[in-house]
Amino acid sequence: MTTAEIFDRGYRRFDGDRSGTLGAVRSLAWHSMRGILGLGRKARHKIFPIVVIVLAFLWPIIFIGLAALFPIDIFADELRPEYWELARFPLVVMAIMLFSAMVVPEALVRDRRNGMLPLYLSTPLTRATYLLGKVLAVMSCLAIVTVGPALLLLLGVTFEGEGPDGPLNWAKVAGQIFLAGTGMAAVFAAVGLAVSSLTDRRAFASVAVVLVLFGSGAIVAGLVEGAEMSENLRVFNVVDMGIEVAPRIFGAAEGEGERGPEASLSDSTYLAGVFGWVGVSAAVLWARYRRIGAV
Amino acid sequence: MTEHTVSPLGAMILTYRVLVRQLFSLGRGAALAALAAAVILVAWAVGASDSASPENDALRVVVDLGFGVMVPIVVLVFATAALGDMREEGTLVYLWLRPMKRWPVVVGACLAAFVISLPFTLLPVVLSALVSGGSSDLVYGAMIAGFVGVLAYTAVFVFLGLLVKNAVVWGLTYILVWETVAAGFGTFPARMAIRGYTRSILTGKVGIELELADVGLTAGIMVPLLIALGAIILGSWRLSRLDVA
Amino acid sequence: MVQVTNVTKSFGDVVAVSDVSFDVGPGVTALLGPNGAGKSTLFRVLCGLTPPTKGAVRVLGRDARTDRMVRGRIGLAPQQETLFDRLTAHQFVSIAAASHGIPEQETVARSALDLVELSSDEEKPLGAYSKGMRQRVKLAAALVNDPSVLILDEPLTGLDPVQRTRMIELFNGLADEGKCILVSSHVLDEVARLGSRVLVIAQGRLAATGDYHALRDLMDDRPHRIRVGASDPRRLASVLIERGIADGVDVSAESVTLDTHDVDGFGRAVAPMARELDIHVTEVVPVDDDLESVFRYLVER
Repeated sequence: MTTAEIFDRGYRRFDGDRSGTLGAVRSLAWHSMRGILGLGRKARHKIFPIVVIVLAFLWPIIFIGLAALFPIDIFADELRPEYWELARFPLVVMAIMLFSAMVVPEALVRDRRNGMLPLYLSTPLTRATYLLGKVLAVMSCLAIVTVGPALLLLLGVTFEGEGPDGPLNWAKVAGQIFLAGTGMAAVFAAVGLAVSSLTDRRAFASVAVVLVLFGSGAIVAGLVEGAEMSENLRVFNVVDMGIEVAPRIFGAAEGEGERGPEASLSDSTYLAGVFGWVGVSAAVLWARYRRIGAV
Repeated sequence: MTEHTVSPLGAMILTYRVLVRQLFSLGRGAALAALAAAVILVAWAVGASDSASPENDALRVVVDLGFGVMVPIVVLVFATAALGDMREEGTLVYLWLRPMKRWPVVVGACLAAFVISLPFTLLPVVLSALVSGGSSDLVYGAMIAGFVGVLAYTAVFVFLGLLVKNAVVWGLTYILVWETVAAGFGTFPARMAIRGYTRSILTGKVGIELELADVGLTAGIMVPLLIALGAIILGSWRLSRLDVA
Repeated sequence: MVQVTNVTKSFGDVVAVSDVSFDVGPGVTALLGPNGAGKSTLFRVLCGLTPPTKGAVRVLGRDARTDRMVRGRIGLAPQQETLFDRLTAHQFVSIAAASHGIPEQETVARSALDLVELSSDEEKPLGAYSKGMRQRVKLAAALVNDPSVLILDEPLTGLDPVQRTRMIELFNGLADEGKCILVSSHVLDEVARLGSRVLVIAQGRLAATGDYHALRDLMDDRPHRIRVGASDPRRLASVLIERGIADGVDVSAESVTLDTHDVDGFGRAVAPMARELDIHVTEVVPVDDDLESVFRYLVER
């Protein structure tokens, strides 16, 4: 009666140029970032990132607002925080921690839970380049709250004519802000990603990140202040290690502005602490991803 | 055709039995036990050191590590999972489409989360009060505040698990933003934080002033119990109006 | 026993069930529809798990969402596979019995598991069960309270053919006891074997209800397809067309497949015509009188 026939349903082959590994990493990073920030997702996915970003920018906005509304020279005043000081404000610290705990797990855990990871690994992405894309996405998101507030302050100050003298100095300050923000983002991203790699439940990953961030601080406080053990134990407080990146990059002298007790650590001890956290986190992350997701 | 029904007590025990088994896993238990051990270890280190104000140091450990981290977060893990996970996974229907009243199910779920949370919260809190060299007043205070606090957090977080989808994230936001930062902004936010009441109980027992602790011992005990009752009532209301998968 | 009156259920902009009404009494009724047609949503509304956006649902004359007692007379095997993973099958079904307030939970659980051919002594937790086993545990849990109304969402998926036959026998047995059994499926062959009463649902709307043979007969505007095996199919075909008996024909070496609007007319004409033309007719077979074609017709209309 009839012979078999397969109908052409209009599928087309892609004949254009392919962007290769670089393109794959870039688009993975970009779309992970969109997912984290809730862009292109329903409104309820956007609430959380917006709340956190508002928290982080509240202070610089208030400063700039006051300066714009009142003729008083608020930026020249002592009221004006140092650029690195912003990262120590409780609301900003909280914003950074919330981002690390609530949205960093989103970047890794969902792909494993939904079985997306093997699919990604079937593209030009390898385990290493996949993780690279995720690290880029997470650090870019964290940079919004680590670089953003200080950068906004710098712009506000410049607009009021109180900025650094000369384009060279201005560029130097801007560079320091970027460097400090990137450094902070790296520490928190590393810890957040390492912890997220350990569980397949996003909720537990969030809880675990909070426990590591808060727990390390509380335990160090107990040991150093309560039990009066060595000050060098402060390197185990990951939040302080992360936040301290900013004053160290700005080369803030002791006694200048508000600094935490970790300011007393020597540069070498401090560096050992920071690189220890990042290194151990990276090792955990890599150890997990070297094995899981294989088909 | 006979119509069977389940007594409130029966429904409570049934929910409790199911959830105790579902909530506890060795992995969770081990992670939380390690954390509890770390807290006790720090408390011990604090107790072993020479200090001008041992009672004050001991109180700080109990307040910051115990009531600041362990108590709310451990309870958050178990309580939001109680009915929240069942709802997400689609097993809630096995307790929902039944000739049972709603409130005993909520109470049973609270009971299960409470009983499982207790060893990981009350034990480290009381033990750290003991080994950090606190007075017997501090130990009793930690015991009362731990019991009352765990109860209040449990009921509130069980309700939260029924209310929103990612209850853990919202619960963490409450703990981190509200209890840690916002509660410090004034009397009203402090009154809206369970932390304010547990601290009030400790202050009432040992007589050392703490931030946020601005109600008396009796109010410190009664208000969290009322909060728990309110959360259970709201939870029952929410359960009956839920869209069940 | 189950009354659905003008029920509409929408989730935001998506209308999952649209203005559906039907009454179901004792016996097996199959709810047939493709994936995403709204079968599960309709069952959820029926059991009170979610309120209808418009309309009303009554089970045994009552609303399961607000009436606690009627919930004890419903047995539901939901679509999702998740169970209490840490429990054994026997514990799970015992708990289901307890949650219905049944006194002899252990005995009842054992006999419910026997019905679905699972062992009460299995010590493996449900988390380790296969899809087909989970399916049967769900069924046992739904049967444990001796429900008057049994609602089974895709109960046969994941079962092997032997189990499938057993389960269908079980459903028919329960139907003979006067219970109302609603079974959903997207597999036609299952529905054809389940029983003759069908509710066809497509895109959230009720496409057809009734006995499926009767449904088939109702659709007289639709051409019927018949295959006639004959010794000279080419000549038979040309005469069929010539006399206006067939609307269209398809000729192969040994048979003619024809479409006609007038089955009765064809039936009366075929034998005299064969004799007149001196053609041997070897078979006359309706090729589209199965549920699949009814279904396709209803859904694609």
